Amino acid sequence: MRMCLQQLWAIGFLTWKAAFRFRLFWALLILLLVSVVALPLLLKDDGTARGFTQILLTYNLSVIATLLGLATLWLACGTLARDIEDCSLQVVAVKPVPRWVIWLGKWLGLMALNAALLGLSGSSVYGLLHWRARRLPPEQQTVLRNEVLVARAALKPPRPNLEALVEQRFRERLEKTPVPPSEQAELRRQIEALCKAGIELAPSGYVKRWEIQLGPRRFFLRDEPLFLRVKFHAAQTNLTGTYKGLWQVGLPDQTRVWQQIKSLAADTYHEFAVAPNLFDADGRLVISFVNLEDVPLLFPIEDALEVLYREGGFGLNFARGLGIIWCWMGLLAAMGLAAASFLSFPVAAFCSGSLLVVVLSSGTMARVVEEGTVRGVDHETGVAVGSLVDKVMVPVFRVLLKVINLAQQFSPVDALSTGRSITWGELGRAFGQVVVLLGGLCALFGITIFSRRELAGVQATP
Amino acid sequence: MSGRVYKGLLVLVAGGLLVAAGHVQEALNRQRADPQLGLTRVAPLENAPPVLAFTTVALGGFRGLIANALWLRASDLQEQGKYFEMVQLADWITKLQPHFVQVWIVQAWNMAYNISVKFSDPADRWRWVQKGIELLRDQALRYNPNEALLYRELAWFFQHKMGYNLDDAHLFYKRAWAVEMTEVLGPYRTNLAALVAGQTEEARRIANQLRQRYKLDPAVMLEVDQAYGPLEWRLPEAHALYWAWLGLQRSTSKDKRFLRRVVYQSMKQCVEHGRIITLGTNAVPVEFGPDVDKIEKANLAFEQMIAEEKETVDSFKRAHRNFLGTAVYLLWINNRPSQAEAWFRYLKQQYPGEVPAEMTVDEFAIQTYVGDVSEMRQDRARAIIEGLLGRYCLDLALGEEDAAVGHHLLARRIWESYQAARQRQKGRLGLAPFETIRDNVIQRYLDPQTGLRPELAARLRAALNLAPAQPR
Repeated sequence: MRMCLQQLWAIGFLTWKAAFRFRLFWALLILLLVSVVALPLLLKDDGTARGFTQILLTYNLSVIATLLGLATLWLACGTLARDIEDCSLQVVAVKPVPRWVIWLGKWLGLMALNAALLGLSGSSVYGLLHWRARRLPPEQQTVLRNEVLVARAALKPPRPNLEALVEQRFRERLEKTPVPPSEQAELRRQIEALCKAGIELAPSGYVKRWEIQLGPRRFFLRDEPLFLRVKFHAAQTNLTGTYKGLWQVGLPDQTRVWQQIKSLAADTYHEFAVAPNLFDADGRLVISFVNLEDVPLLFPIEDALEVLYREGGFGLNFARGLGIIWCWMGLLAAMGLAAASFLSFPVAAFCSGSLLVVVLSSGTMARVVEEGTVRGVDHETGVAVGSLVDKVMVPVFRVLLKVINLAQQFSPVDALSTGRSITWGELGRAFGQVVVLLGGLCALFGITIFSRRELAGVQATP
Repeated sequence: MSGRVYKGLLVLVAGGLLVAAGHVQEALNRQRADPQLGLTRVAPLENAPPVLAFTTVALGGFRGLIANALWLRASDLQEQGKYFEMVQLADWITKLQPHFVQVWIVQAWNMAYNISVKFSDPADRWRWVQKGIELLRDQALRYNPNEALLYRELAWFFQHKMGYNLDDAHLFYKRAWAVEMTEVLGPYRTNLAALVAGQTEEARRIANQLRQRYKLDPAVMLEVDQAYGPLEWRLPEAHALYWAWLGLQRSTSKDKRFLRRVVYQSMKQCVEHGRIITLGTNAVPVEFGPDVDKIEKANLAFEQMIAEEKETVDSFKRAHRNFLGTAVYLLWINNRPSQAEAWFRYLKQQYPGEVPAEMTVDEFAIQTYVGDVSEMRQDRARAIIEGLLGRYCLDLALGEEDAAVGHHLLARRIWESYQAARQRQKGRLGLAPFETIRDNVIQRYLDPQTGLRPELAARLRAALNLAPAQPR
């Protein structure tokens, strides 16, 4: 075991040395730091400190992830394929080092390189953000601390059990009046639409109420401001585009009550702070909305309301976000090494690059799976034009999407720029799914082929 | 052949090929400009910064693809309620397609209209309205100086988004713009001729600021002011007129119709609320009054635009007729009965049949304000009279004496008409004596708890010759 670790360390160290020898590390580091410093000078923001910080975080982290990702893929392909092509790997392979150690050592070397580069560029972004934030007026600093440079978790009201409600209503209806089986599907659909509208609707002058259990969080949320994030749709648009409503948080006679009339636009998210300590001793937070408009408003079941609260500081959240990006790099390194295990450098780079394009096209695949056809839907009839290709491609895309989603379901850049919390659990899951599972599959594939490959057989005669 | 000679030859060949390519390029550009071929435009981009010039040339045909990707990202983010990238995305999209007028219009409209209303804080909204204006004024017109639709859109933002009252935050916009313009032009009427002459350091500084920051040419401002003014340049309508005027001068397309419409609509708004009574504070809203002195110029603008318009002249005439009705009412309510009478006669003469021949100007004013008094319910009549008397109190407190007289007169006329229509049911449906209603309203406005602020209440007392309030 100790021997193995020593060998891994040695191979990893050689990868590092190569990166320094070819000045790759310095070139990448300078590129990353220049982009971190130059981006704020080039970007156009919405004119607020919050907007500027959000766009800075988004673009800087995206640029870092893109540059590092491409470099990782390129390096991973190069470090193995080139070593095989110029025969330098034969010198290592004749030593008592198992092939899997060579493969894994290179991966670890790349990951260490990524960790260093990500750490340095991430620290620069973090330092830049804080340096800029400190120069802002105090009220803007407060906004930043509360809404962007923070780790906020979200609580949602429990999702109503729509399926059970529909089932109950459906049975009641059938008991009252029998319906032929051919019409039962349509009846169920209509009942579902009615039940959904009943849950979502806030008619004019009526009150809509949500209840959220804070649970043990009530102890550390004392004196902490809460934020409501709300969204609604209007049944009918009005001239001003905004809709008045009275928002009330708290229970009269039981807790403090906060209330405010707000005129908000439909179809978009709004976020506003409410006073602290509005929940009762059991941690029950009650939120009510009175529709003061003449038109009914609809609060979608999925995302009508969230209560955001401070869960932790920005620093650790930022580090966890970088951790997820690092996990992605781990997968890319494994992909590149796997391709280089049996392909020449240009072909390996091309193949793994193409695979990356496929991953980035998951939106198209998701649409195909949703519509059930590759050829698109007839927009006049709304019916999918089925073909033999669909029978093959749709299931393939479905499986591919599931695999891709294992890595893509994490969005650290988005979470960091909107001040959302990235939990340790999420980071652990990212490591498990992206590095251990997906990266492990690539490693298994790569190591298997690399172990069986005849290294001396591929070289051309000079 | 030695290496040096060989390299020299290669350089010569490369130079020759470059010259040849230049000639071929010219021919290609001519062919691309041929409208029959329907190829892409080749008009060189003028005044473009190096980044834009490079982007448009280097990306070539791929510009469209990249622009599409950016459009998709922008609409996705908008759907998710994330707006912080919008200015950047709009900048990139428009830079990729700088000659595509609709791109500028859609992006600017999106910021000024769609995104702005997503915010509840007026300051946030104002920022997005400004972003929309800046995109058109500072960028779009720079690359497309002869496009009528861009001038129309910019003028529309000033006239409709800021000048009209459909946005909840319109008073905030008006005040913010007035404060900004006051900082540049000063609190009093600007001597535009002095700015054009630029003989003093101060005049040159102001003119420079107008040109650099607001892209306003003092010479054009003077022309517009002479044609339609004197204008209140702290209000958005004056700027709507400026951009519409410039569009009419510079563009040659049929789209001038939209600019003409902006001209008369802005003039109508100038008459309706073209005078700043007070700029207010953050807590007290800005207060405007009608500027009935502009009725003559506004009417001329309407007539000029009707004369120039060939296609949709009927809609222009309908707008003119409505404007004349508003003018009569405003003159009447602002205590200018003889002028109201004169414009009423003009309305009847211009649009015979639109107003019954026997109708008096008093009846017309009442009908314009409340409709048919004989059909009115008691509660509504009382509410309208009290509302008018409230306005009378406020006008007195603000020193708007003519308007106060007009509102008082209108309240009395409505009371008289209502009482006359209820002669037989006075006991059941009649109103309290006019003086009683008026005194009640005055008392409400003087109430220290629920009435006007102390300084305004003191001014109302003085205007009504009442004794000063006793300190508590």
